[in-house]
Amino acid sequence: MACKLTRRKFLQTASLAAATVPLSKVVTADTGFVQKPFTPPGSFADTKTATGGICEMCFWRCQIVGKVRDGRLAKLEGNPKSIDNGSAICARGNAGVKLLYDPDRLKYPMKNVGERGNPKWKRISWKEAMDECGAKLKAVEDKYGAHGIAMFPHGASAKYPMHYFERTVGTHNVSEASFFQCRGIRDTAYIATIGTPPGEHVDMPSAKAMFFLGCHLGENVHVSHLKRYLKGLENGAKLIVVDPRYSASAAKSDVWVKIKPGTDTAFLLAVMNYLVENKKYDAEFVEEYGEGFDKFKKGIAHATLDWGAKNCDVPAAQIKDVAEILAANAPHVSIHPGRHVSWNGNDFQRERSLACLTGLLGAVGVKGGFVKPKGPKGVKGITWAKGHHGGEYNLKEMADKYHYAPPGTPTDLIREACVTGKPYPIKGCVIWGQNPIQTIPNQEMTIKALKQMEFVMCVDVMPTDITMYADILLPECSYLERYDYIKKGTQWNFADTQQQFISARTPLVAPLFERKDSVWITNELAKRMGYGDKILVVTQEEKVDKELSGAGLSIAQLQKEDGIHIQPGKDPYGVPEDFEVIFYNEDIEENGYPGVPTYIPVEEVPKGYARLVYGRSPVHTFNRSQNNVWLYNAMPENPVWLNDESARKIGLKDGDRVTLVNSEGVKSNNSTSVKVTPGIRKDTVYMVHGYGSVNPAMSVGVGAGVDDQRLITKLAVDPETGAHGMRNNFVKLVKEGKVLDIPA
Amino acid sequence: MQYAMVIDLNRCVGCHACTIACKAEWDVPADQGRNWVRRMGPANTPFGMASTYYPGLCNHCNEPACVEVCPADVEEMTFTDPKTNKTKTMEVAATWKDPFDGTVQIDKERCIGCGACADACPYGARYVNPDLGEDGKADKCTFCKPRVDKGLEPACVQTCLAEARIFGDLDDPKSKVSKYVKKGAKGLISAAVSIGPNVLYFGNQKDDHLLRTTSTPTVMPEASLRRSLMARMKPEMKKIKNLGLLGLAGAVIAHSVDEDE
Repeated sequence: MACKLTRRKFLQTASLAAATVPLSKVVTADTGFVQKPFTPPGSFADTKTATGGICEMCFWRCQIVGKVRDGRLAKLEGNPKSIDNGSAICARGNAGVKLLYDPDRLKYPMKNVGERGNPKWKRISWKEAMDECGAKLKAVEDKYGAHGIAMFPHGASAKYPMHYFERTVGTHNVSEASFFQCRGIRDTAYIATIGTPPGEHVDMPSAKAMFFLGCHLGENVHVSHLKRYLKGLENGAKLIVVDPRYSASAAKSDVWVKIKPGTDTAFLLAVMNYLVENKKYDAEFVEEYGEGFDKFKKGIAHATLDWGAKNCDVPAAQIKDVAEILAANAPHVSIHPGRHVSWNGNDFQRERSLACLTGLLGAVGVKGGFVKPKGPKGVKGITWAKGHHGGEYNLKEMADKYHYAPPGTPTDLIREACVTGKPYPIKGCVIWGQNPIQTIPNQEMTIKALKQMEFVMCVDVMPTDITMYADILLPECSYLERYDYIKKGTQWNFADTQQQFISARTPLVAPLFERKDSVWITNELAKRMGYGDKILVVTQEEKVDKELSGAGLSIAQLQKEDGIHIQPGKDPYGVPEDFEVIFYNEDIEENGYPGVPTYIPVEEVPKGYARLVYGRSPVHTFNRSQNNVWLYNAMPENPVWLNDESARKIGLKDGDRVTLVNSEGVKSNNSTSVKVTPGIRKDTVYMVHGYGSVNPAMSVGVGAGVDDQRLITKLAVDPETGAHGMRNNFVKLVKEGKVLDIPA
Repeated sequence: MQYAMVIDLNRCVGCHACTIACKAEWDVPADQGRNWVRRMGPANTPFGMASTYYPGLCNHCNEPACVEVCPADVEEMTFTDPKTNKTKTMEVAATWKDPFDGTVQIDKERCIGCGACADACPYGARYVNPDLGEDGKADKCTFCKPRVDKGLEPACVQTCLAEARIFGDLDDPKSKVSKYVKKGAKGLISAAVSIGPNVLYFGNQKDDHLLRTTSTPTVMPEASLRRSLMARMKPEMKKIKNLGLLGLAGAVIAHSVDEDE
């Protein structure tokens, strides 16, 4: 019979065969490749289990093992020894195999012989690449000073190079998206209120009520986080979800507050005022741990139920209902601090309010409340020594703004300096694992900042939209091929026996092609920039071993213990002696911001538009996973959610193809489908963030769905923190070239 | 013994870990699936607004529509009860329902890739994997029988962070799945499609309503009826087996000549 093989079939067969059998067996003289077995062997047959893996498909970093057959990774599973995620991992964790063997992955150092944004790549040697990076960055440093270099890091591997630039080279211009476009506001607001960043440390398994503000667990997936949430539900906790959309969490809630976006602080103030007015708060706790309560009480007295109802567009009775549920179940209530909190540019005050509400209910250190885990001690980060570079070129201090900014420099200040050259020029740029094109609002301005650089260096695992702007692009080992992150913590449910764990990321397979780890790359760079004498660790293994030694452990010891060291833990409950809840914060007021949590209204939706809000999909980590062929197929695009009544009025049906245009005339680069549902407010449309990549080097993910970031052109900078609020943009939908007004 | 799976919608968060783990475990093509998760809603139901998920897979039915339509030659196969070591010999085509554990399985060596079984399934739980063999091979969820036989959990169950997938023996009244049945877990059954599915769904009133109104098949596939008629004629067909095979081979050759052009 004639060989009738389509091209698709050939490629699939070849790649799949390669994934399951060693190379020597793939090729036969006869046909060029062998037939795939009809019945796949399964991950458990003839595989070795490689332990010590730590996932980084997202930042939650579950503990994993690899099923390895003939040197190739066949499957990833949760480490059965884990007391955090256990043998479970999420969709993205399971899909790590497809990142590892993604044919589009960066393989060799590349030089851009085209232009930034429209690159032509030429393969070069590591020596040539490092020589050029070293010389160019040194030249920028010599000409403009260390502060002439900006760095945008993301992920575990970027910490070491970040510290190199921050501490050794000495630039303040380091900006982490995880702070300035995500959770930084939460951390500093809680520090200014209860003295500690909150993490997601609410004891949901033992809660009698859980309160989520925009938090959409289920669509937002981290394994042990979800386990706590689901255990809470299983144990009968009441769930209150405040969200303009009927989210995955709202679908499991007892009360869904369909709030008008941007007004959350008003809602919280009305709840708190009701509790105070009606003496339904924990007076004893407030008396013992509260600071500035009287000023706070006076400062929120205007926030009546009716005032809240009017601002938030929800019934006053519902606000009262929420307050009553919280009071009735206090102190065993989980007031979730949220995670991605840079929403509207009034976010510091909202996060302060959440912390105050936690205190008001006495929900600290008790079952079901805000409880910090007591993790293992001893592990110490080994990195670059802290240098003394002064505050002279610190943009934050120069501007005397953003006094509650998280560590690093607000992205906005860096970008402004790049574009204007004031107060000083920034001409060198290092991007390590971050994709500022799809994290920072106003892409046009980001591109301007990149284009005026004298040198741009990018290090990543995959091509992304930002890698198109690199002069030199370097391929990094993925989280499955390197040592770096040390994950430590406790058992996921505080109600179980108290235990602690320490695990260190260990490669499950050896790196392919010419991929290198971040310690090697950074050290080579340091040698060429004249900082070779400051290197404290030579290899990634040495770094991890030194870090573990503080806890009496080593990589070898962890391997003996199946990748995870487990030891007895400590009771996490109780209120620390020096704990306080600063209801009214004098320092905040002295710095020129409201000292009592205050609602600052945001721009109203203009007629004919809807507010664009975004969120997460359980199968993607923003744009990072867009090219993963399994995850792509699980959700190939990001439909735009539209209220069913609005849709009917403008003649849109579920599944219709649309594009979007924002109030500043910026159009989406792709189309997507409409999801028509009663589960969203009329003044709001929603989509999942991270889609619509434009880099053609991503052969699977390019052009899939709509990039919401492109439509987020208006800046709303949170005054206290300098973080970006990204939900103050307004859009219309366009069908077949016709722009449709969204009915009010 | 009858293996079964319960999906607890109160726990499921629709995260797709199950579908991706399955792909990794069984080399399922990226654009196909032995199992799936569909999001339902948010939509209004008589019990309030609801949004839930349809995590689907082969139902390993009591009267599987896919088995009797298989046109492959029947062969004698001997099955063994893993518990009692009792054996049973049956004449089966390339797909069958195991007399002891109740799972529906495929012999890929004998499968001719015609897709009749996939057409016959009212749940759309089978597909033809084009990467296998010359003409593809039918594929579907096996309840991870090779794993289960080794004492492991099905891959989707092991990775389910919500513990929303519960696997076990329906004939064992003490099993978790049996307890769910007592609580009201039911398969997706309609008047026209009632073939004894062994994947059972449990959820609160509104989620249950949304799932069943959107995802229960209401007609048996046309192909299935036609094939069933043919299947009933099987004893007669057997007599003209050689003739039938000739016809089939002819069709395959014609098909391949077609593609070559």
